[in-house]
Amino acid sequence: MSRLKSCLLIFLALFSATESINVEVLNEEFTEALLLRPLPDRKVLAHFHFRSSAPPSERCGRHHHIFPKSIYQLVHKFQVREMELSFTQGRWNYERWGGFDPISSSNAKPPGVELWAEFDVPQDQVDYSWKNLTHALSGLFCASINFLEHSSSYSAPQWSFGSASGKLRYGTLPREAVCTENLTPWLKLLPCRDKAGLSLLMDRPSIYRGYYHSQRLHLKSDEFGASEMSTGMVLEQTLTVVLRPDTFSGQALQPSWSLSSLIGRSVSRKCSLSSSSNVYVQFEQNLVFEGDKLKEDGEASENAIPVGDGLEDNPLFELSLPPKRVIKELGNSQKAGSILHEFSVEDSNEFKPFDLELNWKLPVAWSCPQAPLQASRFLLGSGNERGAIAISMKSTKSNNVERTSSFDENECWLRVGIFQIVPWYVKVYYHTLKLFLDGEPQSSMENIEKIIVSPSEDKVSTGVMEMILRLPCSVNTAALTLEFDKGFLHIDEYPPDANQGFDIPSAVIHFADFVANMSFYDDSLKQVPILSKLQEEVPVVSYTEVLLVPLTTPDFSMPYNVITITCTVFALYFGSLLNALRRRVGEEERFLSGKGARKAGPLTLMISKLSAKLRGKPWESPKQSESGRSSSKYKLLAKVVLVAGVAAAWQFYFQ
Amino acid sequence: MATSFKFKPLTISILLLFLNNVIASSASGSSSTTMHTNNWAILVCTSRFWFNYRHMANTLSLYRTVKRLGIPDERIILMLADDMACNARNKYPAQVFNNENHRLNLYGDNVEVDYRGYEVTVENFLRILTGRHETAVPRSKRLLSDEGSHILLYMTGHGGDEFLKFQDSEELQSHDLADAVKQMKEKRRFKELLIMVDTCQAATLFSQLQSPGVLAIGSSKKGENSYSHHLDSDVGVSVVDRFTFYTLAFFERLNMYDNASLSSLFNSYNPHTLMSTAYYRTDLYQRRLEEVPVTNFFGSAMETIHTDSPYRAFSERYYIKSKTEMPSDQSGWGNRRTLEGSDVLEELIDPKLNAKQVGCPFTHTWNTILGRMEKIAQIDNLVNCGVALMFPIVALSSWLSH
Repeated sequence: MSRLKSCLLIFLALFSATESINVEVLNEEFTEALLLRPLPDRKVLAHFHFRSSAPPSERCGRHHHIFPKSIYQLVHKFQVREMELSFTQGRWNYERWGGFDPISSSNAKPPGVELWAEFDVPQDQVDYSWKNLTHALSGLFCASINFLEHSSSYSAPQWSFGSASGKLRYGTLPREAVCTENLTPWLKLLPCRDKAGLSLLMDRPSIYRGYYHSQRLHLKSDEFGASEMSTGMVLEQTLTVVLRPDTFSGQALQPSWSLSSLIGRSVSRKCSLSSSSNVYVQFEQNLVFEGDKLKEDGEASENAIPVGDGLEDNPLFELSLPPKRVIKELGNSQKAGSILHEFSVEDSNEFKPFDLELNWKLPVAWSCPQAPLQASRFLLGSGNERGAIAISMKSTKSNNVERTSSFDENECWLRVGIFQIVPWYVKVYYHTLKLFLDGEPQSSMENIEKIIVSPSEDKVSTGVMEMILRLPCSVNTAALTLEFDKGFLHIDEYPPDANQGFDIPSAVIHFADFVANMSFYDDSLKQVPILSKLQEEVPVVSYTEVLLVPLTTPDFSMPYNVITITCTVFALYFGSLLNALRRRVGEEERFLSGKGARKAGPLTLMISKLSAKLRGKPWESPKQSESGRSSSKYKLLAKVVLVAGVAAAWQFYFQ
Repeated sequence: MATSFKFKPLTISILLLFLNNVIASSASGSSSTTMHTNNWAILVCTSRFWFNYRHMANTLSLYRTVKRLGIPDERIILMLADDMACNARNKYPAQVFNNENHRLNLYGDNVEVDYRGYEVTVENFLRILTGRHETAVPRSKRLLSDEGSHILLYMTGHGGDEFLKFQDSEELQSHDLADAVKQMKEKRRFKELLIMVDTCQAATLFSQLQSPGVLAIGSSKKGENSYSHHLDSDVGVSVVDRFTFYTLAFFERLNMYDNASLSSLFNSYNPHTLMSTAYYRTDLYQRRLEEVPVTNFFGSAMETIHTDSPYRAFSERYYIKSKTEMPSDQSGWGNRRTLEGSDVLEELIDPKLNAKQVGCPFTHTWNTILGRMEKIAQIDNLVNCGVALMFPIVALSSWLSH
């Protein structure tokens, strides 16, 4: 009986233990979501969003069930407060794919690798932490991020990028290749890897066939705040791909697609560790507007056809599955907001995989919301000596400008922040900075609100320019030029493909007065991570092109050629000279004839034998004639006699 | 008094001789008694640019093979000098093929590249071999082998007489490789090392190797070129080299449990199909190639030791195993050394003498001296030595008696 009791007790104890674990698991959360959005140029945007969070380890221990251990260790070893790493290939097309929505502002990234990190260490240790972090990340993500360890490849932006704590470091590698080997470790951070859930859709060939793909990892931790309010670590992983459906459609009609035709896979297993796995299909504001217009036209012309309010009756398109719910964004005065259709993949299995299909019914054309200014950057000048960088910004005439609260016809200013890093071998003369507004050069610097320039130092640091421009709202074009000289590298510093040119990283253009966010009617939607992310107020940011600067490259084989030719000339000259001076033919002949008579003495013989032994080679005795042998016998006798004589003399002397 | 001292230097010198013998015999005996602990693979593609697609395909094929035969990713160091899979010229993104039938995507879904692009330099390569890294370098980029490791080093690229080009801008010379391997041996970073090189004049690259335990095979002899196997007109370039193609053809028939020997691999190369002569160097390798399975290097076949009880039995078995291993090693050693020269014979005979009489040290040394005297071919030499030795002895004795 007592045994039974103890068993029961143990069981109870276990039960309570598991319950307490369950509470922790609830704190540690993983969610996944996929957002699909048709783009005006017959492409489709797929945006995967994975979020893992862990409670602060001080309160809840250091053992995690879902949160990746490698990231946890990274955070703790290098005291990372916030970090973002992105791998991108292709260029986000701001004109067609939009530049004023949360996805383009936070997921359109410069090509190659971009890394920034903010540390929670004393000021003097930041560089050391950064260096170690780059190495660790390079090992973790199979990329050459460790090239960012040199002070000549990263910079410390003061206020134009991220927070102004001074503990932030920023670096980019524009030419870094992005491929499967970077995606694999990124997927390994997910609790279900690519075995279940939405990550099943990540078919490598179809992702890398896309027009643009950007794989991003954003980490935020306030582990070191040591306050009750700390939320622990939040790891956000997003993959943004722009794909073109293969399905053929008419000239004007948008191509219809399904998940399986777009990506080549469908979700056949759900990730049971994920607390929510949803798929959203977003129809943009302008598309919704066009749709409404069509609907009204249809109602006006043909009253016979009843047009209901239901989404199945949308005149533009139809979705193969009924949405779980429809979320409407708050619109502005003229237009209604965008619409999100939510689907759940929870009940998908191998027999009934989740596969969404979108069919267009009517041709439609629309455009995406634009940032107030569209920036592009190019090079001026020719030759290998000097050149100029020009950043041109064209007004998109979008009505976003008017949305700002400080809008006033007379006192309307557009504030544009520019953050530009230039490697040291492009020697920028910052005093040549010129600003053109609508083609007119501006003599005074009244349009520059704030500027910080830290010129580059050869082989030590990059040149950084941070500025805020204040432009009148009515401006059509603004251009900025900076002249530079091209520097020379040491022969060892050239990369193997130096003739391809050198990259100047993208400039970051940000519009601090504008925020790209969506706002929904329902406040409860903040519970869903992807939706709360969309509601977050992020400044509108865009990146310019990477510039390719051809530098003077030496003929790399020249040193070898020079050395070879010089050596040949010297050898010929000195050889013949010495020959002419030193050679005496008559003497040589005499010497040769005399040499035949001479023989090697016993001492030289011994030395040669000894040296042969030391070198570990078998000693080859020189051929001896019979006469030599007999003479050596005589010598032997003479030696024995000599030894005896010396011994006798010695003895005699001492006695 | 004087007479008793007279003998001392002589005995000291004799003792020194004896000690010398002991050291020599122990050095030859301790060839490799350590157990095989793990397998490592370093796979290097040294060529940049799209037209060298085949070199990357070669390396990835080997990567796939060793992974299939059981070496885990964390013990493979893969160096790829360029990105071919996601290259803009690649019609098949994220895919690399080594055959025009496109049946096998070498890049797969789970490739882990440790060094890529500009990181593939001679410096980094030598750092991996010798283990001299900066402290910040992560473990995944290091060769963490030990003295029981079997290492496969595969290199492919463009090479020539005694060099291999890295990225068209630097060279790895045969001396560099030999020095690095020597350093590895001294640092006990490997037990056995197989160097496999697919490049033109590959045999010249290991002409300078001296370290024991190294086996080397190259695709071509000095003066010969190594050729590509075939062109894929969809990809637009040659996709595999001949030597690697036939190596893979050999391995595709095998699985993890096969016992194919290294000699069967080495004999599978046909100079007519290869269009070059595969050359292998075995003089530094102690074991017979017929007895060594290919999984010794290309797989991770560990010898399993069954134990009944947790710890005690293990040590016993280990002892037995090392004992049984010894004779075969010794015979291999002996066979190899007899070819080299007569002076080695002394070393082999002396231990025997040592073994015969372990009783009195004096008779033992006397025997040693006798043995040495027998072998000294010319009495002339002895007399010379005697004369030379006499002067210090006489001088010392006179000084002592003074």
